[in-house]
Amino acid sequence: MRRLGTAVILRSALTTFALGLAGVLYGFPLYWLFVTSLKSKGELFASTVHLIPHNPTFAAYSSVLIDRGFWVLLKNSVVVCVSTVLVTLVVGLVITYPLTRLPVPARLRVGVLNWALSLRFLPPIAVVIPYFAIVRTVQIYDQPIALIGIYSLFNLPFAIWMLKGFLTEIPLELEDAARVDGATRWIAFWRVLLPLAAPGVMAAAIIIFTFAWSEFLFALILTATPNAQTFPVGVQGLVTQFEIIWNDMAAAGVIAMALPLVLMVIGRRYIVAGLTFGVIREK
Amino acid sequence: MQPITRREFVKRTAVAGAMLTSIPAILEACSGSSPTTSNKPSKLTIAAVQGAEDGPLKKVAPMYQSQSGITMEIVEFPYDQLFEKLVTTFQANGSSYDLCMMDDPWMPKFGTMGALQPLDSNFGFTRDSDIPSIVYDVGTWPPPHGPVPPSEQGKSQHLYGITIVGNVEMFMYRKDLATTPPTSWDDVLANAQKFNKANFYGYVIRGKATNPASSDSLPILWSFGGDIFDTSWKVKLDSTESIDAITFLTQTLKKYAEPGAANIDAADRDRLIAIGQAFQSTTWPAEVTGVVEAQGVSQVVGKMGYIPIPKGPGGKGLGMMGNWLLGIPKGSKNGSAAADFIKWLIKTENMKTYVQNGGIPTRTSLLNDPTLGQNNPYFPALAQSLAAQPNWRPRTDQWNAVETIYGTAVNQAVAGLKTPKDALTGAATQIRTAMKQAGYPS
Amino acid sequence: MQAVRAGWRRLSRDERLAYLILLPALSAVFVIVTIPFVLVIIQSLSTEDGTFVGPLNYSRALANPLLYEAIRATGVYALIVLPIEILLGLSFALLVHRTVRRPGLRAAIYVLAILPLVVPPVAIGVVARLIYAPGYGVLNVLLERYVGVHQEINWLGDPTLAMLAVASVDIWQWTPFVYLVLFSGLQTVPRESVEAAQIDGANWWAQFRYIDLHYLRPLFILILFFRLADVLRVFDHVFILTGGGPGTSTQLLSLYMYRVEFKFFDTGQAAALAVVVLVSFSLLYTLIARVLPLERA
Repeated sequence: MRRLGTAVILRSALTTFALGLAGVLYGFPLYWLFVTSLKSKGELFASTVHLIPHNPTFAAYSSVLIDRGFWVLLKNSVVVCVSTVLVTLVVGLVITYPLTRLPVPARLRVGVLNWALSLRFLPPIAVVIPYFAIVRTVQIYDQPIALIGIYSLFNLPFAIWMLKGFLTEIPLELEDAARVDGATRWIAFWRVLLPLAAPGVMAAAIIIFTFAWSEFLFALILTATPNAQTFPVGVQGLVTQFEIIWNDMAAAGVIAMALPLVLMVIGRRYIVAGLTFGVIREK
Repeated sequence: MQPITRREFVKRTAVAGAMLTSIPAILEACSGSSPTTSNKPSKLTIAAVQGAEDGPLKKVAPMYQSQSGITMEIVEFPYDQLFEKLVTTFQANGSSYDLCMMDDPWMPKFGTMGALQPLDSNFGFTRDSDIPSIVYDVGTWPPPHGPVPPSEQGKSQHLYGITIVGNVEMFMYRKDLATTPPTSWDDVLANAQKFNKANFYGYVIRGKATNPASSDSLPILWSFGGDIFDTSWKVKLDSTESIDAITFLTQTLKKYAEPGAANIDAADRDRLIAIGQAFQSTTWPAEVTGVVEAQGVSQVVGKMGYIPIPKGPGGKGLGMMGNWLLGIPKGSKNGSAAADFIKWLIKTENMKTYVQNGGIPTRTSLLNDPTLGQNNPYFPALAQSLAAQPNWRPRTDQWNAVETIYGTAVNQAVAGLKTPKDALTGAATQIRTAMKQAGYPS
Repeated sequence: MQAVRAGWRRLSRDERLAYLILLPALSAVFVIVTIPFVLVIIQSLSTEDGTFVGPLNYSRALANPLLYEAIRATGVYALIVLPIEILLGLSFALLVHRTVRRPGLRAAIYVLAILPLVVPPVAIGVVARLIYAPGYGVLNVLLERYVGVHQEINWLGDPTLAMLAVASVDIWQWTPFVYLVLFSGLQTVPRESVEAAQIDGANWWAQFRYIDLHYLRPLFILILFFRLADVLRVFDHVFILTGGGPGTSTQLLSLYMYRVEFKFFDTGQAAALAVVVLVSFSLLYTLIARVLPLERA
């Protein structure tokens, strides 16, 4: 009995230790990011590094958003992300609706899904090279529309797989019942199917939003001025070795993380589903 | 709630619709300027390098804005990216930028691409005798002296850029510790040895790969009689002189240099100097005003001496030009307004204001102005360096690729991954291949 | 034409509707995806000014030693990152599954684990710079203060350390993903079989080996697929942390291609590279997709 007791205590101590260690390794970088963002320029030049800021200040945040004018980039990011979400969802629904609600040969359905999945394997850098040539020809360089187009394309596979998963779960009979009552197919889609699928569509929207929010490579290449630059491009621009502005850099990092974190709280149940194309479903 | 009639509903909807659709028109009206009534642009966009180089520009631009009524938008990029972004924008023939800041070694690429509007023939720029001629030469394409790339030999010369940051690479040391300034690289080594101690480095190498390592080592390479190309584009990076120079930097001097030199860039170097942990290094003027002599940031204000690059074994010390120029991209639709801004900026009185805000002048009269010199202890050294006709980096449109190869090789030698000889021999081979592919004589 | 019209008439109303919706949408997407492919092939066969040069760009691309350094770096990166992430994620999933019973704590771990998956890699690159960068990186400060390492370690200046630094960021960000997938997999293991095994006196290893693993196996393939796709496209955090340096030691495939196109401005070679990568990735994809445990219909 005594030996069992020690074993249990030892085991729970070990567990606590492992969890605690993981927590520190995992949390410290984020803590450090936040702390650095609260430092003043003077504190950066101090020859000893303070692990806790001595005179915390939000100066870096106002420097980033106002002096450097990054609020414009924040606005661009929101515009680009919202538009991407709308375009992707509409196209996604147009493709998944017939696949799940109408009689379509199985080979076509599998083909479309497979093809969508293969797009997930597409390396963006290999695509950006020809895409840049298109943007050049169509004269949409440094325009938000160039980003919206490519983001929608790259998020379409997620949208198709996720929406397919959610739509399949809604019984066909519900729509049929509405149609027996005289509703057109369009009304049945709009009044019956869409409200039922709403949580799934919202989840897809949140995931697409965060992906578009995080995107960097295309934004770096396809924009030139605050006319279309998104926030990550601005963040990256602060990573310079010519100037000591780590506090600004950290503050920009914190801002870039803030919105996805808020959205995550809302959409947390669906993130893993989104990342695995709907294979893993949380209850 | 009262049910509303169909007609009422239509009316309300129409009003709401009209309000929504007219928002853009209202916004347009509020913004004040309409492009049809005057051809003066409402905004000029400048692509600038982020850091000490564009700081003063950011300060004087609002003054121009209030005088001219033109909004000045400055878009900043880190050094590497500014170049990439400019080339990309030129390729896209984008009208995004009305003005761009350019480091002088980029001139050949932009000149070859035909990416800029000629300032002399289009906007009537002429040479000012108060500004050293080398400054105009560096903004001229094809280059007025030195080897000209094969593809550019028939082109007529035009001025494409006006220097707004009169950078020349110099040398800095702790004059409060050493009694006499080092005159040769041997003196530099002796001082490094003498002052090196725990947590105080005898020398700082700016050894980060590509541009930083390249800029840090080129003056030494030249002062030792080495070079990347000879006058007919033959690669001589694997000559004895070149190898000696890089061996001196990456082995002899490195013994007294900071740890991790292979990843140190200008900001890190300045920080080491500014917190009093290092004795000497090469430097650019912008680093002096931005960090080393900045009150409240630096602990060594007034303790540093600034001199031209020390002499090599041949008795010659060669500074390196690193002018930042302002040019007008072909794609800009506001060329003449942009040209007006450049003309405004280089007027003596405006350049003086610019200098008072931390700018680096090109006008000899300002460099020798004693009142300005008080706050800018390096002005005499800079005037001397400019007058001595500093070297510029090879005028080839392939420079960026060459610099990447060379700067990576020096970095590898600094990191101790390769011996200086192996690094330079390898780089020479790569550069030969690249130049041959680009149509240069081999 | 006649046959098509006849076939069309034979379809039911719903089937016709399905094609009416699907065909335009799919062909639009198909065209949008295909145009760049055609364009990149044309680009890869010509010089910057459009003269046809045949396979010259391909031979230049394939003869460039930097390509093989990039492939090697990508391989090394994958070999460090994938096993560690899977092992750590698995151990952590087992640990929490077997020992953490409080639903509140489980939910908290869940939320924390999701966090790195949704934040921009650029911001994570910034965090990594604050830790590893020379001069101000806090890791050296911590090592000096609490471990007594007085020699400043140059994390980003040494090829091996830089690769480890870059990989550590990936591990930090993506281990939680592996954890989440495997943890949810462990939830599907039926209680009865676990209890039966315990009655038979199976120790934890046997339980894992003979029961849990059976349920997790398809998930490993899934994790490998998604992680591999991501590792092959890694760009953001490496770009910010090392930019591919020192030398070319962390210049992964995407960074290398970026450099050819946007630093050397060698459009022809970059296009050839893009074609090679697209073709080989498609082959790789077909191989992997066969074993993917995704429901297909």
